[in-house]
Amino acid sequence: MTAYRIGIDTGGTFTDLVRFDVTTGELSSLKVPSSPQEPLQAFVGSLKASEVPLAQIDGLVHGTTVATNALIMRSGAKVGFICTSGYEDTAYIQRVNRQFLYDLTWDKPTPLLRSRRHCIGVNERVNAKGQVAVPLVQAEIDRVCQEVEDGQFEALAVCLLFSYLNTDHERQLAAALRERFPGIPVSVSHEIAPIWREYERSSTVIADAFVKPLIQRYVSSLKAGLLDYGFTKPWSMMKSNGGLMDADAAALNPIQLAMSGPAGGAVASQRISQLLGLDNVVTIDVGGTSADVGLFLNGQITYTTEYEIEWGIPASIPLIDIKTIGAGGGSIAFINTGGFLQVGPQSAGSVPGPICYGRGGTSVTITDANLHLRRLNPAYFNGGKLQLDESLINAGLHDLADRLDMSPTQLALAVVDIANENMANAIRMVSIEKGHDPRHFALLAFGGAGPLHGAAIAKKLGIPTVIVPPYPGGFCALGLLMGDLRVDKVWTQAFRSDRVQPDEVVARFDQIAAASADELREQGFPGEPTFEYSINMRYLGQNYEMEVAVPALRSGSGIDASSQLQEAYSAFHAKHHSMYEYTMDDAVIEMVSFKVTAIGPIAHPQISNAAAAEGEAPTVRDVVFGAEGPVPCTIIRRKSMPVNQRMTGPMIVEEEGSTTVVEPGMTVTRNEYDILILEVNP
Amino acid sequence: MTATAARPAGLRVDPVTLTVIDNYLATTCREMGIAMMRTAYSPMFNESLDFSCVMFDRFGRMISQAEFCPSQMGTIKFTVEWMLDELGADVYKPGDVIIMNDPYRGSGHIPEHTLLKAVFYEGEIVAFVANCAHLAEPGAKAPGGLSGDATDIFQEGLRLPPLWLQREGVAQEDIWKIIFANHRTPKTTHGDLMAMVGSLNVAERRIISLIDRYGMETYQDATEDLMTIAERRMREEIRAIPDGEYTFEDVIEDDGVSDHPYTVRVRVVVDDDQITCDFTGSSEQAEGPMNGTFAVTASAVYNALMHLTDPTIPRNEGVYRPIHTVAPPGTIVNCEFPAPLVGGNTELSPRITDVIFGALSDAIPDRVPASLGGTSCCFLFGGEHPDDGEFYSHFHFEGIGWGGRPRKDGNSQIIVINGNCRNTPVEVFESRYPIRVESYRLLEDSGGPGLNRGGLGIERILTMETDSITVSAIFNRMTVDPFGLHGGKPGMNSGIYVRFAGTQDWRTFTDAFGTDSPSKFANLTLRRGDQVKIIAPGGGGWGDPLQRPIERVKADLDEGFITPAAAESRYGVSASQAADGTWDVAPAAGRGK
Repeated sequence: MTAYRIGIDTGGTFTDLVRFDVTTGELSSLKVPSSPQEPLQAFVGSLKASEVPLAQIDGLVHGTTVATNALIMRSGAKVGFICTSGYEDTAYIQRVNRQFLYDLTWDKPTPLLRSRRHCIGVNERVNAKGQVAVPLVQAEIDRVCQEVEDGQFEALAVCLLFSYLNTDHERQLAAALRERFPGIPVSVSHEIAPIWREYERSSTVIADAFVKPLIQRYVSSLKAGLLDYGFTKPWSMMKSNGGLMDADAAALNPIQLAMSGPAGGAVASQRISQLLGLDNVVTIDVGGTSADVGLFLNGQITYTTEYEIEWGIPASIPLIDIKTIGAGGGSIAFINTGGFLQVGPQSAGSVPGPICYGRGGTSVTITDANLHLRRLNPAYFNGGKLQLDESLINAGLHDLADRLDMSPTQLALAVVDIANENMANAIRMVSIEKGHDPRHFALLAFGGAGPLHGAAIAKKLGIPTVIVPPYPGGFCALGLLMGDLRVDKVWTQAFRSDRVQPDEVVARFDQIAAASADELREQGFPGEPTFEYSINMRYLGQNYEMEVAVPALRSGSGIDASSQLQEAYSAFHAKHHSMYEYTMDDAVIEMVSFKVTAIGPIAHPQISNAAAAEGEAPTVRDVVFGAEGPVPCTIIRRKSMPVNQRMTGPMIVEEEGSTTVVEPGMTVTRNEYDILILEVNP
Repeated sequence: MTATAARPAGLRVDPVTLTVIDNYLATTCREMGIAMMRTAYSPMFNESLDFSCVMFDRFGRMISQAEFCPSQMGTIKFTVEWMLDELGADVYKPGDVIIMNDPYRGSGHIPEHTLLKAVFYEGEIVAFVANCAHLAEPGAKAPGGLSGDATDIFQEGLRLPPLWLQREGVAQEDIWKIIFANHRTPKTTHGDLMAMVGSLNVAERRIISLIDRYGMETYQDATEDLMTIAERRMREEIRAIPDGEYTFEDVIEDDGVSDHPYTVRVRVVVDDDQITCDFTGSSEQAEGPMNGTFAVTASAVYNALMHLTDPTIPRNEGVYRPIHTVAPPGTIVNCEFPAPLVGGNTELSPRITDVIFGALSDAIPDRVPASLGGTSCCFLFGGEHPDDGEFYSHFHFEGIGWGGRPRKDGNSQIIVINGNCRNTPVEVFESRYPIRVESYRLLEDSGGPGLNRGGLGIERILTMETDSITVSAIFNRMTVDPFGLHGGKPGMNSGIYVRFAGTQDWRTFTDAFGTDSPSKFANLTLRRGDQVKIIAPGGGGWGDPLQRPIERVKADLDEGFITPAAAESRYGVSASQAADGTWDVAPAAGRGK
């Protein structure tokens, strides 16, 4: 029987669905408008539109920006924050530094709490060694419960000092709160983010509680909608780290969904990279309002725990290291008080949108500039579903151009160039300046506008190759089908390289691996998981760690634990040297935390072979690429491109969800997997 | 805007490339900072970020900086100028790293060490990269470096003239040995200085790749243009301030050695597109460590004026050109060797910005806030750690309330204006030092009452968990108020108090130990169970508190930023608490609405 796996990616403007036929390997995609007011509508609507019989659905994965948006828009719950007595102001005091210098109008960010009065202190204390200094007594628990009741909160966040070392007090308190208030979700810091630094941990657990009622409603509404439609199987959601978790589990740990949307793109990117045998890849996903930049080293996604909801409000969860900047098709160009042209981060969004949408927009955007340069086809934007009107943009373009003593075309080029530079800078921040030479990277560009800018960004960074994957417009949805079920567990305990007993580390890894495997099974994974092990290390005395993989530090691995550790120390020295050009050879290495990732593999779509050229013949249009002005440029539909034939730019490749620009002098090859490979300096 | 929007005349590089290169340089400075944070050993670096990373062109002119400590970025201009002058032009080789911390050669104070590296491209020097960082342990009289009762520079730590720490990539062991022999925590010093070296390596790579992309000519033209633009824009900003002479004064309440105040007096002269801050009439240099060198004073002047002008002007040599400082030698604002000065950089510096703000408060009333808390609340300690017998040493400081602003309240708990440091997380602090932090709270009523209230200070209570620990302090605003403006009231004073184990009362250190000053002292011994209470001051209020709209008074009550007593006495609002904990308010007699 035919079986399909479905990925549904809900973004702010569009909901993308990708359908994967497990038997034939066939892929197809569709796009429907999102319905932010009534998410269920677009979600089930896209499923209906896919016309897959319910019985044939064998797996449904959802990626969503709903948590991201709630965090950014501050539309979450009334949270009660419960903390060690004396630390009620942690979320308000923060880290006391300023985002900008010399700006007396800057305001310190506000926590996700609605009031300072919503912070409740608990008389208890664990010390820096994890020992109980002040016991938590029942009377105190009762008193806290009474305060919680009086506060009428919609969600609770618990963060006690040093709970990453000793979870007892948090567990006691959480148990009491959950029993007493079964209807109120409780987020507990050692469960959500067992990390040191009380402000960062508090902020994370508050963020989790803040979105929890919303995500729980969201998940149950989708569940109910699916049931109504007749779909009864379990389904999963993509976490910020690219792993999948059962939807019910996601609802219990919703901060994990903070970057659920862009994570799909990263996962799909990894697959494309593997397919092409590329080790080092930078990804850029450019949508309507923002660009997401990610990085792969040695074929691996890089992760971080330093996500910020806004500057100064961290949510320290493991997520794919994606940097988001305000640069997308809708980003607005303006002249700042110094007379410099700037682009973004303000965006025209989808309403009113760029001027050329004809929906009342009056600010020149990147899309308008691209249209003026004729890089976009006004009759084939989003496959012709949206007609762009070039005549509308002249007035706005002239106004800016006159003020800068430029021609409109020079201005449009400058707008695109500044946007490209901003995106290139984001790439530098995420990656290149950590010691990685851009000339050894490929740039994978997707999202509606990524392929439009990829070539120019690559040129700025000295990146030799640009990759445009199949389905660039719906790439994140495709990525949802390429994730595996994944459980990450971290155990925090410091060991020194001069005192550690290797066998003790092995025993702990065994223990965490077993617990992770159990959790994976609870989420319905039937098979045998695979495991990844790593240790966060630093020189004794440093405060920040680097993650070092220890592939076989398990009993029964057949490799001696002590020599495994020695290898890990060497890897740490080498990593430190590649970033900072020095090592501390005589220093003791401190191992701070130990991580196990259990992965439950799932059948993934394969990128199928490209069909030979079909469809329409290429046309020619004058396009502006640089100061030399318009040049005749070949316009070709992606499906009409011959396979494995190198073609020379200038060329514009159009398809339903995106437009790829191949600048003069570059070449493009559509390979057998329908992947476009641009050579910047052939 | 239209007048300046056209491409400025006389520039060699197009505006787009200039934007790109300016952003690139600032990004590089940030990256230097991240490298330091991630690799350094002391919480001063890796949590507090008490450092700055700056780039200079081949002539030693500053070309970029980022969001680091303003006082350091102002002094490092003088530090690097001095180093290059003293050492000469042709002595650097690729891989050389030079260290310097001498305040009488342009450094802010002894704990701040500057590292400098020349960047080479095709055999020629194309830039200098530098960072300046506060080492927690410079080998001074008091652990942590800030001796509140020092009477000369020799008590303030190991003074290093410009020396090669590394030659062509090779560590100069002789210099390291001298440093290690003089610092109480040599391992930490080693880790921190190496973090600084690593940060310079990151910057060097980036400058080379910038020149690879744009070519030498564009790079040099762009940095020149950026300085021209910055200068032009700063001159335009100054021109917008009404010409005139504006004066103001305030005091440093004592110097830790003698118990009289020191006046800091400024006459700000705005003359078309130039501005001069003349400190003639300020007190003679102090016996104790509250002095500033000329570099510290000039740096504070820059800092004040940058806060009062467009914050988006590129930060390079150009912005400093129209700003002049007059500071008579031998005064507290330009002390002479061998005067002690370690507190000048933390305490005099914000007082200088305060008096410049005060002086200009009538000239540009829509921009100038009331006084911020104006002290770093320096609390220093060290000793042998009971767990491992190793020596530890730390410089602890606090954020403060900032002054009420012309259009809104001041921020609560933000680091003093001369720094941009973070606090040290309690979980990091207690893991490193044998002190328990009992509480760390915003202090209600500490913000100066006003139409726009001053930001709140904090109270922190520390319990010593070791048999013997040596403590020192340098605070200000403990006896002299953070001032309000335009009818706004002062913020709450700072404070540092001690409560001995087994006793009830909080006492000043003068009362408990007989120190000359309650706020500045060094090398006192506390025992297990003794407690210290630190109070960080609030900011001054802006405008008449009786004009504060009653709903904003209510909001402050609801949030617990003020007490009902203060609502009544300071704001003329009587308040009673409703069942849900919120407040019902009504104007008291004598208040309009």
